[in-house]
Amino acid sequence: MAELKNTEINIPVADPDDPYAIPAAMPSSADNAPRSFEVGSFPVPTRKQEDWRYTPVDRIAEFFDVFEPSGETALTATYVDGTPLDGAVATWTTEELGAEDSGIVSKPNDRVSAVEWNSAAQAHVLHVVADTPQPILIRVTGAGQDLDALHLVIRTDGNLHADVIVEHAGDARLAEGVEIETGPYSAVSTTFVQEWDATAKHVGNHRIRVGREASLRHSVVTLGGDVVRIRMDQDFAGEHGDLNMLGIYFADPGQHIEHRTMVVHNEPECRSRVVYKGALDGKDAHSTWVGNALIQPTAPGTDSYELNRNLVLTPGAIADSEPNLEIENGNIVGAGHASSCGRFDDEELFYLESRGISEKEARKLVVRGFFGELVEEIGIDSIAAHLMAVIDRRLADSDRR
Amino acid sequence: MSTLEIKDLYAAVETKEGRKQILKGVNLVVNSGETHAIMGPNGSGKSTLAYTLAGHPKYEVESGEVLLDGQDLLKMTPDERAKAGLFLAMQYPVEVPGVSMTNFLRTAKTEIDGKAPAIRTWTKELTDAMKQLKMDPKFATRSVNEGFSGGEKKRAEVLQLELLKPKFAILDETDSGLDVDALRIVSEGVNRAKAASDFGILMVTHYTRILKYIKPDIVHVFADGHFVKTGGPELADELEETGYDAFMPDGSSESALA
Repeated sequence: MAELKNTEINIPVADPDDPYAIPAAMPSSADNAPRSFEVGSFPVPTRKQEDWRYTPVDRIAEFFDVFEPSGETALTATYVDGTPLDGAVATWTTEELGAEDSGIVSKPNDRVSAVEWNSAAQAHVLHVVADTPQPILIRVTGAGQDLDALHLVIRTDGNLHADVIVEHAGDARLAEGVEIETGPYSAVSTTFVQEWDATAKHVGNHRIRVGREASLRHSVVTLGGDVVRIRMDQDFAGEHGDLNMLGIYFADPGQHIEHRTMVVHNEPECRSRVVYKGALDGKDAHSTWVGNALIQPTAPGTDSYELNRNLVLTPGAIADSEPNLEIENGNIVGAGHASSCGRFDDEELFYLESRGISEKEARKLVVRGFFGELVEEIGIDSIAAHLMAVIDRRLADSDRR
Repeated sequence: MSTLEIKDLYAAVETKEGRKQILKGVNLVVNSGETHAIMGPNGSGKSTLAYTLAGHPKYEVESGEVLLDGQDLLKMTPDERAKAGLFLAMQYPVEVPGVSMTNFLRTAKTEIDGKAPAIRTWTKELTDAMKQLKMDPKFATRSVNEGFSGGEKKRAEVLQLELLKPKFAILDETDSGLDVDALRIVSEGVNRAKAASDFGILMVTHYTRILKYIKPDIVHVFADGHFVKTGGPELADELEETGYDAFMPDGSSESALA
């Protein structure tokens, strides 16, 4: 089946007299969407464009044209306990953009990712070559409101186990491009935490390729920032890939937190699961989740599922949730999606209060439980503990606001 | 020894048809160790009394006082009332998705006691109480009341009663929706909890059948928003014979038998 990948596929046109005899030719959105390193290939975003309809584009307009990056964003890579990386396990280097390890996973897919590519000064490359004895932590510290662009590559060789955490903190106006490529037969987790200050803006683009017979657990936790918009496009390098994408987000009043996942099944017998959960607290807290899954004719035996759940803690918040499925192959195991938006209601609150739990504690308990279910699923104790600590920090922070 | 004193309590609820007064001058004194049965026809305001005491935001107190050892409960938030020693076992316990029973119970216990329970004794206490209520150990890991059957929810309420050890327990129609075996298990739980911490009970019920398992010291008839008759356990027998007709508007009829 793999040789199909580079073959042109002719989908027959439906016979108007017998439209159900064969599948009609329906170009998928992925076929139509441009992929390019050129900024000019993409129009300036407006809310009339499908990909930008939920985004407050006027608040991120500075990311629509190539800019001079401040270069002030600080990056460090260590083990999660703070000890230095072992060169026999992973190398942490920089290179000119497009030199060797960057620009390898697909191409920019929208205006802001093309701008990032053309603005960033260099690529930071983490190359994992052996099992990681403990998670690797890349710490990204914003340097205030000066515009900056950052390009990060996470590559792993095959036949290894690797855990990588990328943490963002501080104040920033950052365009960030991330490329992730995992080797064959690898088991990798990449966890991205956004714990930005309330004024930070972050426009992110992840381009992900999962190796043949490899599994990738990609987690995103966004707990703050004025505007955070992260688009993640993924595909498979070969058959029997396994992708798990988990997302957690928490939006406060006035904040816009947006995650867009684009899962492309381009290889046979691959499995994907996308689960994103968000809590919204306060007036004009706004979250967007758009989950796209595309199952191409080259991907028989696909098993895919995506789920988004939102918990609205107080009135006045808006949660957009849009799952999209495009299935171009009839021979699949499954393709499903689900979306829900629930309210933490007065009866639940009264019940907990009547047991001695204060309103503030009750909200924390509910949010912690809501996210905890998902964090438990990560299945990597050190990552799960790290994330629960981040969530607890965020909940404790709510007390001070 | 504690005392719960309700003095001339009036309360109302906002409905689509406008404001409706439901409690019309409730007076009652309950002491530690006493079991009061509050019986009455449907719509008389029994459950409203229970929820008003616990502080449900839907019910607005117009006048009156509720004193627990001299402290006015009506000036407190629902969680403060619980900390003061009041417990309401609800007729329809609420599902709280995502919060495990274990986490919920430990949080509630910590809040009520003002300190976290010692892990080893707490786990044992929880396990023993669940065993006696014939609850599946898996319950502890499930979300609060989520997907529980009616009977399971009532057992979970009594489990909380046993663990939180209040000064006064209000049981709102705890017998409703229970078959005879479940009723016995739940009633035994209430009796066990009372034997352990000697709290006072306000048992709100429409029917007399739970009184065979939880023996009341005093029986009240509640109609049209206030107490209309008070007597000993024999009053329940009388209600079983005659129903609530004597306490209802002319021409209507309601039995006290399940």
